[in-house]
Amino acid sequence: LRRDFTTYCPAGGDLRAVLVPEPLRPPLTAPGVEFVVDSEGQYQASLRWSSSRTEALMKHLQRNNVKLLLSSVKQEEVIIYYAKLYGVSVVECLSSEEMALIREITGVSPYASFGDDIHREITETAVAAFCEPLLLGSQRCVHVGFTSVCTFQPHCLILCGPVDGVNELHAAALHGAFTMLQQLFKRVDQREECRAEATEKQLTIEDIFCNTNRVSERQLKTHKGETEVQIVDPDLQGSDSPACVQTNLQILSNPTSHIKEFSVATEGDGSSRDIQKLCAKCERLGDSHENCKSNSLVANQKNYSTAASAVDNAIVITACERLDVGKDLEKTTCNIVPFKHGKSCVSIAQNYSNILIEAGSVLPVGGYFEILLHYYIQHYAKQFQQSEVTVISNVVADALLSIPKALYRTTEQNSFTKFYLKAINALRKNQPLPMTEKGLESVYCKYQLVISVLHCVTELLSIDLVIGVKRPLQKIEDNDSEDDF
Amino acid sequence: MSRLEAKKPPLFISEPLTKDAVSQSLSLLSGLLKSCYGPAGRLKQLHNGVGGYVCTTSQSSAIFSRLSVSHPILRVLTASVQNHVSRFSDCGLFTAILCCSLIENFKSLSIASCTVIKISKHLLSLCMDYLKSEVCGCRVSVDFCSLETLRCLVHSILTSKPACMLNKPEVDHLTTLILKAFMFTVPCHVETNAVLGKCIIVPVKGRRVLDSTVLPGVLIETPEIQLAKPLTVKRSCSNMIKIALFCVSMSGDLFNPEEGTMTVHHGISLEMSELNQLLNVGKQLVSDEVGLVVCQKVIHPSLKQYLKENHIVAVDRAGLSLMEPLSQMTGSKPIGSIHSVSPSSYGSLKDVCIESFASKHFVHLIPNDTVVCSLILCNRNETAWDELKRACETAEHVLQLTIKEPLALLGGGCTETHLASYIRHKSCSLSTSTFKDIDCSQTQYQLVADGFCRSLESVACSLNHDDGEILTDVVYGHCWFVPSGFPSVSNLSDLVSKCGCGINGNSGNLNWRLLQGQFGSPIIQGCPKEPSGKVADFLTLDCFAAKCSGLQVALETANLILDLSYVIEDQN
Repeated sequence: LRRDFTTYCPAGGDLRAVLVPEPLRPPLTAPGVEFVVDSEGQYQASLRWSSSRTEALMKHLQRNNVKLLLSSVKQEEVIIYYAKLYGVSVVECLSSEEMALIREITGVSPYASFGDDIHREITETAVAAFCEPLLLGSQRCVHVGFTSVCTFQPHCLILCGPVDGVNELHAAALHGAFTMLQQLFKRVDQREECRAEATEKQLTIEDIFCNTNRVSERQLKTHKGETEVQIVDPDLQGSDSPACVQTNLQILSNPTSHIKEFSVATEGDGSSRDIQKLCAKCERLGDSHENCKSNSLVANQKNYSTAASAVDNAIVITACERLDVGKDLEKTTCNIVPFKHGKSCVSIAQNYSNILIEAGSVLPVGGYFEILLHYYIQHYAKQFQQSEVTVISNVVADALLSIPKALYRTTEQNSFTKFYLKAINALRKNQPLPMTEKGLESVYCKYQLVISVLHCVTELLSIDLVIGVKRPLQKIEDNDSEDDF
Repeated sequence: MSRLEAKKPPLFISEPLTKDAVSQSLSLLSGLLKSCYGPAGRLKQLHNGVGGYVCTTSQSSAIFSRLSVSHPILRVLTASVQNHVSRFSDCGLFTAILCCSLIENFKSLSIASCTVIKISKHLLSLCMDYLKSEVCGCRVSVDFCSLETLRCLVHSILTSKPACMLNKPEVDHLTTLILKAFMFTVPCHVETNAVLGKCIIVPVKGRRVLDSTVLPGVLIETPEIQLAKPLTVKRSCSNMIKIALFCVSMSGDLFNPEEGTMTVHHGISLEMSELNQLLNVGKQLVSDEVGLVVCQKVIHPSLKQYLKENHIVAVDRAGLSLMEPLSQMTGSKPIGSIHSVSPSSYGSLKDVCIESFASKHFVHLIPNDTVVCSLILCNRNETAWDELKRACETAEHVLQLTIKEPLALLGGGCTETHLASYIRHKSCSLSTSTFKDIDCSQTQYQLVADGFCRSLESVACSLNHDDGEILTDVVYGHCWFVPSGFPSVSNLSDLVSKCGCGINGNSGNLNWRLLQGQFGSPIIQGCPKEPSGKVADFLTLDCFAAKCSGLQVALETANLILDLSYVIEDQN
């Protein structure tokens, strides 16, 4: 907690803490209450009562091994005095965010005064292993070791830097990284409920830190549980697509490696034409590697839907990688094996979801995502006969290249051209992409990003007039019905 | 209806370091700071032009807190230095000058800033490893069994602040006082958690510095106490003085009611009732054999009179800042209620007496255990007193840091030149795999290392404010100052007697060379040696922790500034 103790009483061993949301001193009056003073003696007696009640409360806290009061308001001197007298440390003026965090960690509710029954047992106490002052730089802080009731252990990350502004930037970057890690374990598949469920399972912080094998196993299980609804079944892929098996054999030098499969494109939103368009494009990114057959998949899909005649070419990028954080990242290999699973008929747009982004899918950084998407969108555009779609596809495909262009601009000249040619040649020859970068990026995040960008672009392009107004726009209330006009 | 003003577009500066305005401001700031550095530093007078308070100083903390820096890049620099000073008190100017110098030197290299940053980080790690290693030739260990090294540390701090206007006897006197005060704050009986006490600086302006003194315990200014009458304080059975410390007001003012209404019947006086309660507290204090009552706020005159009649000394308006040391020193708990006073809140004192300095009268509370002491600090005028107070606080802080890490670095520019020769030597003998790891060529590394060393050396050079020459020797890598006015043809070895820190004497063939003007042709040399013995009685020493942090902060901040390719400033 980034503030100092109001009063600190050293306490060893486990201790209990109470959250206090209000002034603890019993008030003589309250809003709407009149306090009538009949005599001086009565007035003094009331004050004495108030003071002795405060003392009794502190004694009671002490008996219950409460050694820390965390107050969101400033307490009166008399409270601090008795707290010190009975060995209770006090921290005041906690922000509502801090109070909420402590409540979440410890699961306790704020202390409610008991009225007249002062001797009732105090149940809402948080357990802490220690509570001590801590000097960080030149600032004194309160360090409390709460015992967590959540699935995570509360901990603090102390960022050091020469200036506050830099620390704020670092903190923001760290939050970004956390958000990314949470997104990393999201996936895109057919049913929204499935995704939500899977996401929840994998979103706990533990999962991020637990070993890869467990995560992978869990992911596999999740998939197996959903074979009825998922058209792409990991087991089937393993056995029925020769390309994948081949890759496996090539890469399995590392026995713990786990073959993952994800696709570039996914389900449409239904509400947005453009997203559907994108999906459609992505769906049709297929190329013509005829040697890859997946009969069972085709069979599945045929069962699934038969009405429309859209060509559904799925590209599955098989990536073999371990998600160990900070370990063996260099060993990560990525093989791109595009394959086509024949023609299948899909009745409605939403049913494109037979391809999914698996939870935890990553690609090496350095423009590979963009170049892959670019390649397949272009490929799709060639296949498609309608010129309009071809033109727009090419625009999107070229726009994607602006990212690697910007990335390679800072280094040597023409290095983008080199990178582009190398990557495209490798794709054409069905060879692994030449990877030099060590970093990875989340495919799910990239997917969300592309969708957001296309959404935004469509919106901007749909605007035909910008009207400048001189006064701030007022939010129009909902109850302004048409009758008002 | 409020009128809306059109928003100004943000100010957008690309490649800020290449802009003339930034370069000029940077070199202006750099020049200003360099001119302040060291015992011979020039003073700066800061005032706002419409009268009022004037500050004469050469300390970075005073300059940066008053100087308004306009350019965002320079604000990053000053904020960094201020953060460093808030943690270590010392080496602020060193940090700022080194940072400016690093920026200027690195900027002039035609190497991509990301490469410069990588190399300079590696250089910093070389420096830090060396400073933390046993073989380090520019540090000395501090022996707390003798006062000698501690005296050198404090002495160096006081002499490096010329705006204190101290002569030699005054520096010696204050050095002794500061050390004495520090010794008071070290607890005699250390249990598991040793906590240092506190030294309270009591201002007495308009007196000679030599009138300054240190007293154990706390002094509370009391204008009303008459000196003529000797103070008679009631003592309890064990010959101790019981003290009651109140943090709540005892003025008899009405207790502030909460929301809601309070109806008082005719003829009832709540004020009288409050006063009666105060007198009840007074009665309890008398029966509890309390000898001294100290109140943070105001005591009602009637209660004061009552206490006086009962031979209890009452001191009020002690102020919030004294409450913690008072509580620590006497073992009393500040009482926050006048309705029930627990006897367990009382503390004890050895003695109470009256002291007076200049025209001020104080009640002097003398504790049994002297972890709290008062430094009565005198200086002729207010500005010089303020500067002296900052210097004393710095010295106190440096001693605290040194007790944690009992090391000191050689001062007088010697650490800088020694470190520079170490880096020059080390950077020639790095393996090719190092360059591969950093992703740079050996030439690039050499260029950046040279810029780094020149920056360190320029800090040492800024100790010199007259026209004299600055030399460095090839054996120890120390810094030597040649007074101005000698013909350039004379033999260098005839002109110097001892190095900047005073550890090395002129023992013949040390192979001196000029520090300035040699730029661009670094001499290939061996690893600088550790000094063999020491020549002077007094070494110039710097705080180890503060200087290490200063080096790190300067380099990290310089890297941060070099990395800025755009500044976007909101002008609304």
